Amino acid sequence: MTSRRIVARGILDALALPAWIVGFSMLGIGGLARDAGHPVGAAMLSTVLVWASPAQAILYAGLAAGMALPAIALAVGLSSVRFLPMVMSILPLLRRPGQRIATQVLAAHLVAVTLWVESRRRLPDLPLEDRVPYYFGFGFTLIVVSAALTGLGHLLAATLPPPLAAGLLFLTPVFFTLSLVAGLRGSADAVAVGLGFVLAPLGTLLVGPDMDLLATGLVAGTIAYAVGRRARARS
Amino acid sequence: MSDLLALAGPLAPYLVVLVGFLPSEVWRQLAVLVARRLDPESEVLAWVTAVATALLAGVVAKILVAPGGALAAVPALARIGAIAAALAAYRLAGRSVLAGVLVGEALLVGAAYAYRP
Repeated sequence: MTSRRIVARGILDALALPAWIVGFSMLGIGGLARDAGHPVGAAMLSTVLVWASPAQAILYAGLAAGMALPAIALAVGLSSVRFLPMVMSILPLLRRPGQRIATQVLAAHLVAVTLWVESRRRLPDLPLEDRVPYYFGFGFTLIVVSAALTGLGHLLAATLPPPLAAGLLFLTPVFFTLSLVAGLRGSADAVAVGLGFVLAPLGTLLVGPDMDLLATGLVAGTIAYAVGRRARARS
Repeated sequence: MSDLLALAGPLAPYLVVLVGFLPSEVWRQLAVLVARRLDPESEVLAWVTAVATALLAGVVAKILVAPGGALAAVPALARIGAIAAALAAYRLAGRSVLAGVLVGEALLVGAAYAYRP
């Protein structure tokens, strides 16, 4: 098959469902961005550049709550560390002799939860020379659909009647809650989710809106890590 | 930093996007550099994963407890109840995220209509 047909196959496979799942969560991000007083263009740019709905939720919920920018940057950084192991496990699947560094940089930028899951499932079955065009067709489709739906979410938040606008803003918390629960692997994850959920509102009271998320992440995450380590040691 | 943003005027939100972009992208590109040298199963990454998970749960709790915009007009009990119902639907429908989202959303929008100011 020619590489153009492989790209088209990636685009079609992404449009079959995955692009709409990511895009759906981005509708809520568009609403959050509008809530923080940001224009539609900036909201769409955040999807193309940040390309991580948890990081975007921290950014826009943080701005709306009056969090200081350095604290937001630190919280975003902590929430995105997961990309390090994710990208590290994807690149070897795409690697070819004499590959340009620009290809790897762009491939790394496209990595987010959905593309990571789908790539690990689909790429190993493809011949080596087809993987890069397929991956870029798939990944770019995810990002374009998501940016469009971010813009749509921003516009809808301004025009929908208030109860439906409330439903739009509710998309992000309900989707993340279920994804977190669906992704639970072992005791460390369960403790991290439960403690993080309970400690964040307490943290707002104890350390204020600037540092509450960071404090929650560090305290609940460290306890969860310790619990997980003990569980692993016993098994 | 805020002086710099004031100077940017209407372009300030586009600069603020960088506050989300740079701390995220740094990890993706670091992976390109160290891809062959770091063990994906290491203890440091296990700790970092736990912190990131707790942080995300914290964001969700923060949006639920102190939301902005139209969501703030919905009573807190309805917001928490809709999440609980979403979790129950997710379980009952055989771990279907879509079923959970639909039930949670239906309940929240219903409550928002019932408690319309």
